Amino acid sequence: MASKRPITQCLRCTRHDRIHILPFRNLTTTTTSEPPPPPPPSSEDAPKQQSSTLNPFLVHTPRSERKLLTTQSQYPIGSRRRRAALATSSNIPFTQLPYQCFQEARKILLEDRREKIAEIEKMRDRIEKVQKEGLRKGEGESEREHRVRSMRGRIEDLKVLADINDPLVKKRFEDGLGDMNKPIYRSLANQSWRNYKRKVLLQRITQMNVIPDILPFIGPTVSTSLSFGRKKVPHGEIVESTLSERAPSMELQCFDKGERLVTIAVVNPDVPDVEKDGFGYRCHFLASNVRLSPTETGVDFASLHDESQVIIPWMAPYVQKGLQYQRHAIFILEQPSSPTEPPTPLDLTEIKKQARYTNRDGFKLRSFADRYRLRPVGVDLFRAVWDEGTAGVMERLGVSGGDVEFKRKRVEPLPYKRLKGERFT
Amino acid sequence: MQVPSTGLLRAFSPLYKTTPCLPWTARGCVYQQRASFSSTEQRQKRNKGGQKKDPRITQIRYHLQHPLTPRPLRFSRTRYLRHWTIHRAWQLYQSKLRTQRERDLEKQYNTMHAACEALRLIDNHGMTTQDRARLGEPPQDEGGKEMGRLYRIAMLKHGVWDGVPIEYARIQTDSPGREGWNHAWTQ
Repeated sequence: MASKRPITQCLRCTRHDRIHILPFRNLTTTTTSEPPPPPPPSSEDAPKQQSSTLNPFLVHTPRSERKLLTTQSQYPIGSRRRRAALATSSNIPFTQLPYQCFQEARKILLEDRREKIAEIEKMRDRIEKVQKEGLRKGEGESEREHRVRSMRGRIEDLKVLADINDPLVKKRFEDGLGDMNKPIYRSLANQSWRNYKRKVLLQRITQMNVIPDILPFIGPTVSTSLSFGRKKVPHGEIVESTLSERAPSMELQCFDKGERLVTIAVVNPDVPDVEKDGFGYRCHFLASNVRLSPTETGVDFASLHDESQVIIPWMAPYVQKGLQYQRHAIFILEQPSSPTEPPTPLDLTEIKKQARYTNRDGFKLRSFADRYRLRPVGVDLFRAVWDEGTAGVMERLGVSGGDVEFKRKRVEPLPYKRLKGERFT
Repeated sequence: MQVPSTGLLRAFSPLYKTTPCLPWTARGCVYQQRASFSSTEQRQKRNKGGQKKDPRITQIRYHLQHPLTPRPLRFSRTRYLRHWTIHRAWQLYQSKLRTQRERDLEKQYNTMHAACEALRLIDNHGMTTQDRARLGEPPQDEGGKEMGRLYRIAMLKHGVWDGVPIEYARIQTDSPGREGWNHAWTQ
């Protein structure tokens, strides 16, 4: 009867317990690595459970909640609405929900996925064939390499396209459970970063002229987020001096596979120079050989290795009284590497011997990046101003000038603009 | 001289404003600027006084309220995912259909092109120059009347407008002609 009338079947309320396909439910937390919460029992053994123990995931009447609290001294888990929904619905996994249009759509998507995977296999075979056979007529070594590279790129695209229509992949990504080793999750994360956060970052660093002031250009490919202690700092935010006294930590998320070594530099381009009547640079932090991959994202500036990574340790940013805000730009520079070999670290003993790269004042990031062939891949920015804590910070740093206030020079008015009395004095 | 008091004026006249007043359309900008310098959304639960709403948005919502306005789509998580799955499948199906049609057209065009090329190369007896050479026949004149006669006939434009009014044959242009209408023309 039911098979003859599929629409009726679809329209029927699924909360009734007539449909039992599988005893488990993966609607709430789909395949995750962590063990799922204790599965709610199916409705047959619910009354049996009621008599012995109450399930904190399922109790949804005030009376049973009270009973749970008094007898088992447990609080119910989740909202009452959710508990009620869990207790009264049948346990059908998402992919088997009996909606005709949904199932037809899934069929089409699975068919497409199979096609994409077959195409990936075909491309792999083709690459092998190309590498085995000799050069074609009229083709150079570089042309063949280009052909192989473009085929590999096509494979990477296909890997993403095969999974991009999967609703469970979308769900897992939205829940933040995506595995960054897989190309599909990396691609989704990249997309969402480029949609909003990267635009904001680019706007901040161009409006505050970080790009031409410190490095000529950057096209960020690594997403950055800065936090001082527990406080997350949006790009370009003004940070209290007491907060920035301790070294920050960063989340650096790269979206292409493989490991790489990066150099992190924090540069302040607004250090006042009174003799010159201008501004100079100061380096607040410099560290090289920081390992980065799609899954290794956290970098704590304070816990980097002193010998093999840190070149210039963290110095708290300070701005003397009367000055404008000072920009502190954090640049992530990728160290040169070849695709076949593991990345080679920079020689820090050689760098530490050179005074121009170990002196904080007058540090030129352009020169450093050129000398060691570093490619800028990520950027972040925070600002510092004079506040109540700055004098204390400077005192603890051992920097003099905490009691100095900068003032603008008085511009002498032209004679005809002077007041009557002072004109001829 | 004592300055007259503005108290009465301030109390009763709506025109008297001590603070500079923005047009009402710009007030939303002021409200938004009160938020901290942050790109993330404010958490509503933290915010005790409730989120600051832009008055323009309130106005739009107010005026959209009409019995004929369809209610907005609000789905649960799983229902939204099902909806999304169906949507993606439909888009995929459509794009496949489109590429299939384009390929069919391309195939037809290529076949027609090949047929015309074959016609262009044969003579009245249906033989190309190569065929003649192979069979030992005397060669035809390459630029003569005999070669490619069928091709020339096929390229004639006679009768393509049969059944279609000739007015539709006007070439589509970006701007009208110098004289807008040819009044002298009759069919």
